[in-house]
Amino acid sequence: MSEALIDALNPALFWEYRLVLLRGLAFNAYVFFAAATVALVVGLAAALLRVNRAWPFRMLGTLHVEVFRNAPDYIMVIWVHFVLPLLLGKLIGQRIEFSPFVSAVIALGFVYSGYFAETFRAGIQSIPQGHLDAGRACGMGETAILWRIVLPQVVRRMLPEAVNQFVSLFKATTIVSLIAVPDLMYQVSMVTQQEMRPLPLYTGAAVTYFVVIYVVAGSVRGLSERWRNKIYA
Amino acid sequence: MDAVPAIRVVDLRKSFGALEVLRGVSFDVHRGSVVSMIGASGSGKSTLLRCINRLERPSAGEVFIDGEPMGGPVTASGERKERPLKDINRMRRDLGMVFQQFNLWPHMTVIGNVIEAPLRVRRMSRKDAIQLAEECLARVHLSEKGKEYPARLSGGQMQRVAIARALAMQPKAMLFDEPTSSLDPELTDEVLTVMRELAADGTTMIVVTHEMAFARDASDRVLFLHNGQIEEEGPPDQVFGQPRSERCRQFLSKKLQ
Repeated sequence: MSEALIDALNPALFWEYRLVLLRGLAFNAYVFFAAATVALVVGLAAALLRVNRAWPFRMLGTLHVEVFRNAPDYIMVIWVHFVLPLLLGKLIGQRIEFSPFVSAVIALGFVYSGYFAETFRAGIQSIPQGHLDAGRACGMGETAILWRIVLPQVVRRMLPEAVNQFVSLFKATTIVSLIAVPDLMYQVSMVTQQEMRPLPLYTGAAVTYFVVIYVVAGSVRGLSERWRNKIYA
Repeated sequence: MDAVPAIRVVDLRKSFGALEVLRGVSFDVHRGSVVSMIGASGSGKSTLLRCINRLERPSAGEVFIDGEPMGGPVTASGERKERPLKDINRMRRDLGMVFQQFNLWPHMTVIGNVIEAPLRVRRMSRKDAIQLAEECLARVHLSEKGKEYPARLSGGQMQRVAIARALAMQPKAMLFDEPTSSLDPELTDEVLTVMRELAADGTTMIVVTHEMAFARDASDRVLFLHNGQIEEEGPPDQVFGQPRSERCRQFLSKKLQ
């Protein structure tokens, strides 16, 4: 290897800025956890609409899934940050602005709620009718059946797929730098502008993301498999 | 015999679309007695059982539990209003049900399955519920399996846990829907033994079954269903010994071959 190449790949510069970059990574985590919460709550609500007996509810749920599953993350982030406040502002006749963080969480949360809704729905529909009958025969109410019998099984069944979606969501958090959420990518861009050394900085960022996702997703998968094996042995 | 039967079924009818599954079935089950329901597949036995605890809503007719109508009291104008689900759930507590497919909840341990309804429905304390569950598991001879998950049990053990789960609601009557039909022959005996013990203890039971020996030896009355109607009924000696109906005779001769 030429000395120029070794010099170019030297991670010392990346290491020098580690605290700034770590703060950026923390922002990825904040956006991830907030958006994941939105996606799970809204996704569950949409899934419950999708399996409702009344067709208007089912339609509403389907509409939600189709709209958000087919919206590109990038477009949604831009639209929620720049267009939605304008629309809402016109509606109530007042100037509104979302902080970049809030926009990022809403946009990613809703996009992924479309995916999670489908995962939840498939999970709910895979629970045998007999499990519900058994609950009803014991005099359990529908709410108790949902929370005690259906959802705990749905969570176990959907875990492998949900882990994949969480990984996608975490990767998607890297585009929030577009609307100036100070995440890792944003910080790397800032430092690059100062140092003019894109190679070690962006490579360092790529390796960091890879390692974080690989380690976290791998351990979550392992844990969830051990947990599932207990009941599906 | 008491004046008010534990379960009284009056002219029960049920249709699924154009298909009439039950065409007016009436019978009483007195406290402490065991009624077996036999008949070919599709004769309406399981539907009848599911109508009794209202897992299916009957198209017409009424079920009385201890004299109280499941479908709600008749108003002055002669109409019968459907009860709110909350009322139906309260009445379902008095009817334990055991299913052909066991229907244990796989994400809960054996003890978890048994304490669930006492905890959530009867609002017992966890300590009392566990004590009760242990008694129920002892009755089905599975005291040592409390901490296992259903996936680790044999079919016969699963069905006995399901029986314990139904007993834990301390119901007034137990409904069995073909409890041994999805079990290997060598596993049916352990379930039938438990059911015989329950019968001997004076448990009120309705048993839909293909086990003719159980119907003959363990029940007080046998109903033979055909095409959604009771074609033959009486004490087992009579139904098995001198059936009046030709269809019942044919059914039994095939079954007892």
